[in-house]
Amino acid sequence: MEVEASVRLFGGKRRLRDRVVAEATELGILKVSWASTGLAALAQARSNIENGFKKPMQELLDALPMDSISAVRPHSTTLAQMGCRTLGDVRALPRAGLARRFGAALRLAMDQAYGHIAESFGWEVLPEDFKAKLELGFRVEHAPALLQGARRLLVQMCGWLAARHAGTTAFTLKWWHDSMRSKDAGDSGLLKVGTADPSRDIEHLCRLLAEHLAKVELLAPVGDLELTADEVHDQAGHNVSLFPDDVEDGLAPHLVLECVAARLGPGAVKRCVVNEDHRQEWMSHWQPAAAPLPRKPAPSTDLPQPTWVMKEPLKLAVRNNRPVYQGELQLLAGPQCVESGWWDRDEEVGDTRLQVRDYWLAQSKHAGVLWLFQTKMDDGNAWFLHGVFG
Amino acid sequence: MLPAAAGPGAVLPSPALLPPSQNALAGVHEPLSHAAETALWRGTELGGPVSDVLTSGFAELDAVLPGGGWPCGSSTEVLVRQFSVVEMRLLAHVIAAQTRRGRTVALVGPSLAPHAPGLRHEGVDERHLVWVDVDTPRDRLWATEQLIKAGTFGAIVSWLSHVRAEQIRRLQVLSSRCKGPVFLCRPEVAARDSSAAPLRVLARVETDWQLAVQVLKRKGAQLEETLLLPSVPGGLLKIMTERLRHPSRLQPVEPANVVVRPAAAAHQRPQVAATSQH
Repeated sequence: MEVEASVRLFGGKRRLRDRVVAEATELGILKVSWASTGLAALAQARSNIENGFKKPMQELLDALPMDSISAVRPHSTTLAQMGCRTLGDVRALPRAGLARRFGAALRLAMDQAYGHIAESFGWEVLPEDFKAKLELGFRVEHAPALLQGARRLLVQMCGWLAARHAGTTAFTLKWWHDSMRSKDAGDSGLLKVGTADPSRDIEHLCRLLAEHLAKVELLAPVGDLELTADEVHDQAGHNVSLFPDDVEDGLAPHLVLECVAARLGPGAVKRCVVNEDHRQEWMSHWQPAAAPLPRKPAPSTDLPQPTWVMKEPLKLAVRNNRPVYQGELQLLAGPQCVESGWWDRDEEVGDTRLQVRDYWLAQSKHAGVLWLFQTKMDDGNAWFLHGVFG
Repeated sequence: MLPAAAGPGAVLPSPALLPPSQNALAGVHEPLSHAAETALWRGTELGGPVSDVLTSGFAELDAVLPGGGWPCGSSTEVLVRQFSVVEMRLLAHVIAAQTRRGRTVALVGPSLAPHAPGLRHEGVDERHLVWVDVDTPRDRLWATEQLIKAGTFGAIVSWLSHVRAEQIRRLQVLSSRCKGPVFLCRPEVAARDSSAAPLRVLARVETDWQLAVQVLKRKGAQLEETLLLPSVPGGLLKIMTERLRHPSRLQPVEPANVVVRPAAAAHQRPQVAATSQH
């Protein structure tokens, strides 16, 4: 990684180095070292020397064993027989003879490592698809414990997504069962996780995965994990506002609702869609919050409507010709006659969803303003409570 | 030596030890500088707003709430005798204002289903309204906590019937990160227990299109009186007639004053029995 040009952006060498070291371990990188040339840094990493700026580079490199540089390795036996032990010994050999006997590649690599010749690197090209595997250090028997391993894979995926300026809307976590398993357990299991907006936010994806994993029961201990990004969409970076006006620093509502829905079930988090219908049951319906809303909301009635409705109309007793709900009710206004639905056929029941109802406004001393209807039943008229103006 | 010094005759003549009222009369008490006056909080005043406030839509209520409205970034308890009778009438204005601003408002675990056509009459834009339909007390608390933690909701209204004081405290602490107001609806009996919520309001429905609201706890002096707020819900104002304005005058006449013919009474009996069977 060439960092010279980015030192100022990240607030100095020391802070950049701290950040690289901190985040590299999360990505599964074992050693980090830095020096003025790439090959020198690599050679130091192989010998567990982190800081290549402590001493003059030449002095540091001379002391390293000669096979720290890959180009030296094919010739290490010959060089050892010539009495070379360290890179310093190799460098001390006559340059012309070195190139003649061991090829120009060795001399070039030595020169590049010592910074005599500029280095050139091939660009790292990212794969088109993301698929990463991880072997767990120990067998995991409970699904939530998979999260620790899965997090490392997620970090890799988010790095890959960030480099491609993309976000994912669906990813799959697959696990392989340990060989010590019962016959009917199968050899693997998988979990598909979806999110509404393309995202590469580790924390959000991790929370989402945790909620889903909490509901998974593993059939056998798990040894290996694999993470695949299924759906990847371009996601440009956000523009940062110049003025600190109304900056949303929390988690966006739809992301939180997604996590809540992941735990409680998709039907538990609902948004409303208003329909054009006079029958109260079909005036509006509630759909999962993640589903898209119609672009233009339908108009609703101008007539009074309660703010709460009962899930099922509640049949009321009648006393002194008045419906009773927490005491006798006082009818205030009405009726609002609704007769609709002859065209709406319920195939399962084989009947139409026809409603003939007279809606009334009623008042109760304790239960506030209520919305009742009277309808014809087999045994005469009956009163039902259907809503509350609350 | 000591009894002599503590005696009234020995102490009172000293001007420095006069009671405060006499001090002021004597001109010893100098008026405070402007900076000190503004920084000083007197026990009779309302507490200053800790955060932004949103108007409740009732001028009388705003006048007695610290800061002049529902506090954002803080939890407010709404205590009611039974759920779904009065909460929406009290909170509809703030919910409507937030949804019209495009902020999401979440209703966590109401006892009845919200009805969008009715809420539209209150000015609520149902596209920004989310109903979290949870049942168990544990799920209610968990969902409420998640939404509060996010901090980006326009308002959160949560119905908590069984909740302990430390759970309310936890929600209150988390609420400080929240941009909008957090309303916790609890049963009226909870008024007896102490609570960490800085604002507690007891609301009841009155007969003549009024809400009786009592502020049980607020920053500042306690409010003794009960406020009567006018409230006509769900677009009923459109059909309001002079007769309807005072439902209390329409109360049924006591049956004792009515002469019921035996034949009519006998006819009525079986009908009552038949309907009450259901």
